[in-house]
Amino acid sequence: MSIIKNWKIHLIALLLAVICEWIGTKKVPLGPGVLLFLPMLYAMVLGTIISLPKLKAFKESETSHATAVLGLMTMILVTKLGVVIGPALIKVLNAGFALCVQELGHFMGTVVIGLPIAIALGLGRESVGATFSIDREPNIAIIAEKYGLSSPEGRGVMAIYICGTVFGAIWVGLIAGFLAALHIFHPYALAMGAGVGSGSMMAAATGAIATVFPEQKAEILMYAGASNLLTTIVGIYFCLFVSLPLTNYFYKKLSPILAPKKKGA
Amino acid sequence: MSLMEEILVFIVAGLISTVVCITAYAVAPLDAFLGSGCIVVITVGGILLAKILPGHLPMVFWVSILAILVATPISPIAGFVTYYVDKVDFLALCTVVLSYAGLTVGKDIGMFKKMSWRIIVVALAVYTGTFICATFVAQVMLHLEGII
Repeated sequence: MSIIKNWKIHLIALLLAVICEWIGTKKVPLGPGVLLFLPMLYAMVLGTIISLPKLKAFKESETSHATAVLGLMTMILVTKLGVVIGPALIKVLNAGFALCVQELGHFMGTVVIGLPIAIALGLGRESVGATFSIDREPNIAIIAEKYGLSSPEGRGVMAIYICGTVFGAIWVGLIAGFLAALHIFHPYALAMGAGVGSGSMMAAATGAIATVFPEQKAEILMYAGASNLLTTIVGIYFCLFVSLPLTNYFYKKLSPILAPKKKGA
Repeated sequence: MSLMEEILVFIVAGLISTVVCITAYAVAPLDAFLGSGCIVVITVGGILLAKILPGHLPMVFWVSILAILVATPISPIAGFVTYYVDKVDFLALCTVVLSYAGLTVGKDIGMFKKMSWRIIVVALAVYTGTFICATFVAQVMLHLEGII
């Protein structure tokens, strides 16, 4: 039984969670907003440090067990959010149109903001793999099938995937908390935005928004959960049939303008 | 991982979340246990559905559908499930999940260190872009629909 063989991972995860919760949430004012440090962010950072190969705390087989376990664990967040949505299903369906349209923001946001920057920084074809989606597992599969992972597009998608694993949740959690504290956007809109389609990033963003607006916590969890579900389910098809061709199209149009010297390279 | 082992993983997750709820959120031990228990049972049920039912839809889909249905007012156990699951704070579950997430990162740090600063800037832009663009569109849509 791999779970018994890898008991150390589970014990450390328990200790990490208890210790980080005990430290509690810290708020650091930054300009007009606030940086919100939630226990889950410490857990992520401390977990990273403990699992550094240099420290030799875990065998390779143990960290790969943790990776397999993590894929399952994110499902308990999905269940929790589903149970929050259930009693208010009608309310969520009432916002159904808004929920569907904001998905365009999730799918195209990576391209709109990411692609011009990637091209201007001289990333070449890697820009396409890097910015056509948020580059989690299902998106890697799309690129792997179309271009192969050793292609420039494959290198782009893998690079952003690793960045996402290392600091995606921390970054999204911090910007979500910061933006929420600015009170520019309504908490429901922020909650929908938080459903980015990656379990840990969604958790960090939703947690931060719910901490800033505790009185609307139930609605925030509900809209974030519904949005995350849509992003995950529709995302695969949207990325394959719309995002990737569009990213390629914009790459062709933008490259000569943003990176003229790279022409033909 | 075999189904048996997957179920064991969820039982461990449930026990850890029970401990976190009791120690950090001052939830009564029985409430924390039953709340976490409900989450484990629904999650395992959803994963079973994903394995049995045709269509190869992702686990997220079936787990969500089952969780939503079990908690809708038409479900006979909705009262029990929502009462106890409500005791388990979402943030407590997040801390548990991200503890595991952290433990998977160490092995990737070597690869991460080799990356150029350019790709890190692009990664930040990609994550910021998806969150902010969706939030912006949601704000406009919710406003147009008169929900906010």
